[in-house]
Amino acid sequence: MRALVMAALALALVASGWAVQAGPAPVRFTLGVDQEVVGLDPHIVTAFSSFRRLDLLYNKLVRYNDQLRIEPDLAESWETPDARTYVFRLRRGVRFHSGAELTSEDVKFSLERVLDPATRSPGRSYIDVIESVETPDRYTVRIRLRHPLASLLSGLASGNLAIVEKAAVLQHGNLQRVVAGTGPFMLAEWVPDNYMRLVRNPRYFRRGLPRVDEVVFRVIPDQASLLAGVRSGALDMATINQGSVVVQAKREPGVVVLQKPGINLRIFSFNTTRPPFQNPAVRYALSFAIDRDAIVQTAEMGFAEVSGPVPASVRTYALPVSQFPSYRRDVARARRMLAEAGYPNGFSTRIVTSPTYEGGIAVAQVIQAQLREVGVLATLEQVEWGTYIDRWVKRDFDTMVELRGGDPDPDRFLYRTFHSTGAVNNFLFKDEAVDRLLERGRVNLDPERRKPIYAELQTLLVERAPALFLYVPYETQVLRPAVRGFRLVGNGSLYYLEEVQK
Amino acid sequence: MSRYLGRRLLGAVPVLWGVVTLVFLIIRLVPGDALQLFLGTQVEMTPEQMAELRRVFGLDRPLWAQYLDYLGRVVQGDLGVSLRTARSVRGEIASRLPVTVQLAVLAVGIAAAVAVPAGVAAAVSRRAWVQACLRVAALAGLSIPSFWLATMLVLGASRVGVRVLGTYVPVWQDPWRSLETLLLPAVALGTGLAAALMRYVRASVLEVLGQDYVRTAWAKGLPARAVFRRHVLRNALIPVVTVAGFQLGYLLGGAVVVEEVFGLPGMGRLALGAILQRDYAMLQGVVLVTATLFVLTNLLTDLAYGWIDPRIRYD
Repeated sequence: MRALVMAALALALVASGWAVQAGPAPVRFTLGVDQEVVGLDPHIVTAFSSFRRLDLLYNKLVRYNDQLRIEPDLAESWETPDARTYVFRLRRGVRFHSGAELTSEDVKFSLERVLDPATRSPGRSYIDVIESVETPDRYTVRIRLRHPLASLLSGLASGNLAIVEKAAVLQHGNLQRVVAGTGPFMLAEWVPDNYMRLVRNPRYFRRGLPRVDEVVFRVIPDQASLLAGVRSGALDMATINQGSVVVQAKREPGVVVLQKPGINLRIFSFNTTRPPFQNPAVRYALSFAIDRDAIVQTAEMGFAEVSGPVPASVRTYALPVSQFPSYRRDVARARRMLAEAGYPNGFSTRIVTSPTYEGGIAVAQVIQAQLREVGVLATLEQVEWGTYIDRWVKRDFDTMVELRGGDPDPDRFLYRTFHSTGAVNNFLFKDEAVDRLLERGRVNLDPERRKPIYAELQTLLVERAPALFLYVPYETQVLRPAVRGFRLVGNGSLYYLEEVQK
Repeated sequence: MSRYLGRRLLGAVPVLWGVVTLVFLIIRLVPGDALQLFLGTQVEMTPEQMAELRRVFGLDRPLWAQYLDYLGRVVQGDLGVSLRTARSVRGEIASRLPVTVQLAVLAVGIAAAVAVPAGVAAAVSRRAWVQACLRVAALAGLSIPSFWLATMLVLGASRVGVRVLGTYVPVWQDPWRSLETLLLPAVALGTGLAAALMRYVRASVLEVLGQDYVRTAWAKGLPARAVFRRHVLRNALIPVVTVAGFQLGYLLGGAVVVEEVFGLPGMGRLALGAILQRDYAMLQGVVLVTATLFVLTNLLTDLAYGWIDPRIRYD
């Protein structure tokens, strides 16, 4: 009896083997990520995790390449006849997943949808200088601005500015569950918190791409499990953001680790309206008191690059940190500066931090220890994530450890963060010189003339210190050795999956 | 019997109402706002936009109005819509429940399959080394936390080339693959349960062995197998079923850590996400369903007594 069962089983196995060999098996690329996405409407979503999938489903007018320079995406070329006008020429013959051709009308519709307050798009503030969008012909889009804005292209490269199919939005209302893009992959199946399956777009405008037939996103929250998944072959690639797991991955012979400094910036924020931090001298003194390299070593296992106000990965604008005097730790000087500011014996303060997401508990602990050496006694206020956001929104903190989403264009990141009217200036920071430089930097389109402005601004921001700028964490992907063609962009984007092979 | 059932089900209503009310209040009393969490720290919204969003989600109305509205809809079986995903709470729960139920049943099944023979052996064996081994095993099973065991199982299995972290498929689609994905997680969960259960089995068997009717059974010259099957095990089972029933009830609420480690889309992760994001409707729905399942499991446990011991009557 047992022999019979075994024989039947063996037969079944062989038969299933034949079945697979009968047709050409689709090449499936499985990617492990630790967070599920909420929705897929590119104009509405806010989470980093959503953009990673939208990168594969949609295109934008322009995108950042792996040198963090703007390159054509749906727009073939563009020109600026004057500082307030952009003319984009679209690629011809680009088709949406539905088969319809992409035209200037879809671009106009997409931009106007983002600009419409009723859409409640987070991308609106990136492009709200747009006065009008015109479509002189099927393949040309002319954008007129209220005033010049140097970071417009950066805004257009954001995931929130994906170009969507007009007809599909009119039909479905929003795109949280349906995809109406031109991207290399099309949505086939989505089981929330389990997996999302994308299939190759046969009409993709980049000829010969993508090279795999399917991309599957698997949601596995545990970082060690993600690594185990790559090792066992259940996953082809996994996004890892926990230092200890990266260390482990680097010791594994069977996996490849790709790393690159990312675009997000770890900062230690001050509430500049609360004593003693309303005094810039006190804030600057603390810049001398901390050892940024030690923070990187301890909190990130060395997988981060020390950075100034412009993310260090943005090589075109970021000043080398050696140019900031306070980046060399000097405890004696910090004590002297505190004494001059009226705090010879230091003071006590509190640090708001959270163990979840980007709450930075490890960073807070190192800073706490380092500040003690200059007489500043900090207590950690370790709060749950919901409370953390609540305190952030209400500006209810003395100091706080944060992770800020940076941008390759200094205007887009610094203006909203440090201008006195900036939307995410929760330091309540007001400085006329900083405001002036920010305003000058955004209306100048010439990168060569912007550089000295932002150089001056960076030096000033380090000295006025609304926050202590710490480091940019590395982006890390763990891959199976057989995977070819993947590159890290450096802003978290995964669109090189269109070139991946296995 | 049916009167008993009706009474028990009626008694569950105030319990469930209390649970719903408690959760409704607690999640709103903790600091943190669903909309702010949804937007995170990077999104720029004007106060007017925020007010508009609040109105759309009905969060601008007084608490008591939201509460009455919610109760009214729950009674009709409508659990509302998730604030985060805009999907229906009932649909989300329905897609997670099979994972959790399968995992819970499998884990308790594994635990019982191990615990009953081991417990009996621990009770009747006269060999010192058997006793010692079982005691150590029980202690180890109780002390090893499931999150550690789960991580070790994943790492170990991936090292020896066993495919772990398969994609979950419901049992009715592909029973074999379903079992394959759930076996290791069930072992991770079941180990601790088995150890706890085994101690109950041992204690219970020892107690029954000392009863007069067992001595009588031996005295009548019944074979050992008959004594155990008919007299000892059956009578020893009642406290064991009670404990296993409780364990099952707890597991039906989801096993957050094991789900996270094995990447399973179960109730635990749904609840955790709802708490972290202050997804009011979702959390209320999850707790309500979990509480209902717990009440039902308890009821089934009570009914099982009657099946095990015919002397127990329900009226």
